[in-house]
This record gives sequence, C-alpha cells and structure tokens, in this order.
Amino acid sequence: MQNKLSFHQSSASLEIIGLPDYSNNENNDQISIISQWKLTIVDKPLIEGKIEHLGPIMDAFYIYSNLLIKNETPIYKSKLIDIKADNLHIHNIVLKSSKPNVNPLNIKIGNTSLSDTVNCFDQLNESSKVRIKKTMVSNYIPKKGRLGLNSKVKFLNFIMPPFIAIFSLILCSSIFIYFYNPIEDKEKNELINPE
Amino acid sequence: MRKSYVTNNIKLNEFDALIRITVEMSKYLYPYIREILKSKEDIEENSVIWNDFNTRFIELIKERFNIDSMRVKKLLNQAENDEIIINSLLILSFCISKQGYQKLKNFLYDF
Repeated sequence: MQNKLSFHQSSASLEIIGLPDYSNNENNDQISIISQWKLTIVDKPLIEGKIEHLGPIMDAFYIYSNLLIKNETPIYKSKLIDIKADNLHIHNIVLKSSKPNVNPLNIKIGNTSLSDTVNCFDQLNESSKVRIKKTMVSNYIPKKGRLGLNSKVKFLNFIMPPFIAIFSLILCSSIFIYFYNPIEDKEKNELINPE
Repeated sequence: MRKSYVTNNIKLNEFDALIRITVEMSKYLYPYIREILKSKEDIEENSVIWNDFNTRFIELIKERFNIDSMRVKKLLNQAENDEIIINSLLILSFCISKQGYQKLKNFLYDF
C-alpha cells in the first residue's frame, strides 16, 4: 500500500505517491521512495511524472521565478521543460515527454498560478514527511548574498579611505624625492658658505 | 526616496526585523495579493480590484515619499509602474513559505 501526500495552494495542488524507506526505520506515513507525482493547476491539464522528472521541473520553476523578479529575460529551457513569459501576466510552459512520438504539452498560466505552484513546491521542500533530494535552486542564495554583501561593502568602506590616503602620501613623497637631490643641495650650500 | 530630512542608515537588525514583518504580513495577506494579481491578469473582466489597489498605492506614495525624486516620479506614473507593482507583488507571493524570510532576504540582496 503506497502513501499519498498532498500539498495545496489555492489553484494548484501537488500529490506525491510513494513508500517509506523501511531499511532506514522510517515511519509508515513517510515517503522516501517516490514512485509518482501529480501537479494539478485549476483549468489546466494534469502534469504527472516520475521522480526523475520532479527535480528538473521544480528547478525550472524556481529558476524561472528568480529570473522573473530580477527583471532579467525570463526564459528557461531544458530537455524536459521550457518556460517563457508571453507578457507581464502570462507564462508559457512547454512540457516535453521523454517518450518518443509524444507531442509536447503547452500550458499557459498566469502570475497567480505560477506563485501557487512555487508555493506547493516550497511546501514539499519543507515537509518533514517527504524525503526529497533538495534541489539546488530551492535554497537558492545569490552570490552576493552568499558572500555577505553588506559586511563586504561595510568592510571595504571602512578600509578604503585610509588605504587611499596612504597611497596618495606615498605617491606625493616619491614625486618630491625624484625632484629633490640632497647632494646637489649640499654642494650649493657649500658654494654660498665656503667656510 | 522617503519624505524625510534625516538621512539615517538602517541598522542590520532593523532590516532583518522589517523583512520578518513583511514575510509574516504577506503570509496573512496572500489571498488579497493573489486577487490583485488575478484582477490584472484579466483586467477586462475584473479591473476594480487592480484600480483600487493602484489608486491607494499612489495615494500612499504621495503621502510618504519625496515626490520630487525621479525614482518616485516613476512609481507614480501609471503607465510605467505596472511592472514594478507586479514584480513587488510576485516577490511577496513567493515568500509565504516557512523559508520566506531567507528567500526575501536573498531577493533583496540580489536586487
């Protein structure tokens, strides 16, 4: 008997079907071995697949949503799924079947369905009852954030002014050293005061 | 951008607290955020919600922001502010999960 878990968010719902990993002493209600998943978006065709398709599809949605809000060109393309924005409100999803001679499925969803779907994936990621290999994008941390942009900028602001001051002092001093010749100056003094 | 004569920099803990408040509020207000986005999707059928929201948004900007600033003027321009508002609403709607705080922080750092 397989376990079923559902995650709902307004117009989208995600169903995960699978078994617990008994060799890991897991509870009966847990799912670690996912055999099937189904994503239902109201008024749209059912999207379903195997475990190997779930990760890439979740990644696609996360990457696309990140591109969308960063004002970069919102286009995502992969072997399994393409997503691109038709306009500010409509997103065009093309799901390509791994089976031969099966036409790709075209779905157009709005901003609300997109955010509902992303929230369903978030619920799945956060669920303690489903053990899923964390996708690399769900915990997406931008490079700037990862390096601690704030602290880096603060540190640079703190360290840069004294450095610039020291360098400018060194530069000015070296120019004067170049023009000023102490031996020549000594000889001049001797000529003025021969004693 | 704010209508203020004091230029105080926000402290890190205040920034964190504001993010937490924003995330908690967006969890609570998600159905409304959704409705506003939805009304813009089919504006011909249901333009009332979007128009009400936009009017109130502009009122608040005029009340609290420095309207002489070019960036604020862009926010007030109804022809240009659609994208900014939709993006902001989308960011809020993506951050209603338990990890919403971290997500919103990452989005803001990446801005």
